[in-house]
Amino acid sequence: MNNGDFWTLLKKSGYQFGSTLNMNSIPGATAPFPVTHGTTILAFKYQGGVLVAGDRRATAGTTVMYDRTDKVIDIDRHSVMAIAGVPATAFEIARIMEHTFKYFRRSQLQELSLDGKVRALSRLLKENIPMAIQGIGAVAPIYAAYDLSKKEGKIFFYDILGAEFEGVEFAVSGSGSPAVRGILHYENRWGPQPLSRVSEESAIVLTIRLLETASEFDSATGGVNIEAGLYPLIKLVTATGTREISLDVLENLFSRNIKSNPIRS
Amino acid sequence: MLEEPYRWIEAVRNRREYLEEQLSSGSPVVALPYQDGILMATVGGGTSKLYEVYDQIAFGGLGHPTDLEKLRTAVLELAHVEGFNRSPADVNLQRLIKFGIAPVMKQAFEEILHAPFISKLLFVELTHPSGQPLFVKLDYDGLFEENGKFGILAPTEEIEKKMIAYLRSQEETRTLSLKPVLQIALRTWAVSLHPVPPEGAEDVLPVSSEIDRLLKEKLDHFTPEIALLDKTIPGTSKFKALLQDEIQPRIREWLR
Repeated sequence: MNNGDFWTLLKKSGYQFGSTLNMNSIPGATAPFPVTHGTTILAFKYQGGVLVAGDRRATAGTTVMYDRTDKVIDIDRHSVMAIAGVPATAFEIARIMEHTFKYFRRSQLQELSLDGKVRALSRLLKENIPMAIQGIGAVAPIYAAYDLSKKEGKIFFYDILGAEFEGVEFAVSGSGSPAVRGILHYENRWGPQPLSRVSEESAIVLTIRLLETASEFDSATGGVNIEAGLYPLIKLVTATGTREISLDVLENLFSRNIKSNPIRS
Repeated sequence: MLEEPYRWIEAVRNRREYLEEQLSSGSPVVALPYQDGILMATVGGGTSKLYEVYDQIAFGGLGHPTDLEKLRTAVLELAHVEGFNRSPADVNLQRLIKFGIAPVMKQAFEEILHAPFISKLLFVELTHPSGQPLFVKLDYDGLFEENGKFGILAPTEEIEKKMIAYLRSQEETRTLSLKPVLQIALRTWAVSLHPVPPEGAEDVLPVSSEIDRLLKEKLDHFTPEIALLDKTIPGTSKFKALLQDEIQPRIREWLR
């Protein structure tokens, strides 16, 4: 009987995810090798829902591989996933999630509940544990959604083993996240107003500043590059759906608001 | 039985008669292009008959509900596994019909020792690779028919001809907004209620007031179902089933 489980359907048709590959069992292969990766992703609740953002840099060791990575991926009309970790696994998880939710909606003629969606990501991360513990497939994502039944935005973050946690006000992940976590906590508690009351424009400005700060302390996090037209990827998850902030808006807000204090006179 | 061709042909003929009779009381489905995409309309007793298949593909059907469900599941699985293994861009209606669902229906129809699907389907695709909408009617025997202008799924050939004749007497819908297209679609559906004349008599299309009267009578007991493939919806999935709150105000103004 069809229960709307696309993941089971994929397995039936021969698809495999999260190999149990053991590097030690491969002749000539060395022991698990470190694959360094870094990023900064964040999400926080603002006045209109949830803002989710990520820098654009992809690295391998000390090499910058790519500067236009989309680390915030639309999953369905009312949810996005921000990825931190190994891109190959993260993109595959996002693809499975997107198809899973669509397949459920279309086959069962109703949306999968938010609890079901949160659990689906947890399940995929658990299936990926063999790769994660070998150091070649770890992913620690943030999942943000607008809960239409409760009329509020929700944020969840995960560890690489699939444990899920709800970020009541905000969540961060990636190598640059310690730098912004403290700022978000400070802003939420002692800033002019709690994050959840911040306007859309102020939330975007704050996000660009946060990711610029993260890039200052973490070489794996890319900052703004005005000449190249490179800005963080920012998406809003609201009652009307997900929306990406356009380059024009980012350029405009950056030129009007993101000015440093003169440090040297 | 199978080694005797005559008996096989006879069995198929009997099966065709049986299916035609079973389907003869079904509710038609009308699909029309409009300025933002494609509108699908039908009227029924509450059970949904219009379904989302993939990002830009939907279908409506008439026939036995269980058979419709079986076919719906089959086409959904095909589309989703294909879209995952390759790309959503590789899922298109022609491939789903020609290599997927039509052979299944033909085989079920011709395997006379097994039950056929008591179903007829109308598929629509928002943007066919040619850039235009595509409408494909799929019969219980696997026969499919493509059309780039509109889709009509009727329980009998006579009713279908009458509905098409009415639709052709209306203005081109491609550039119209949602409301006038909804009106044309429901009126086209209501033409199916007009009695078929006795054999030999000339079949004349009913006038607008007669069509509206027939439709109004039906809507006193049954519910309109409208689904859109709307290219203005953000994101990849373009399907939207209209709620009754969205349908009724649009009907009330002209169907007093």
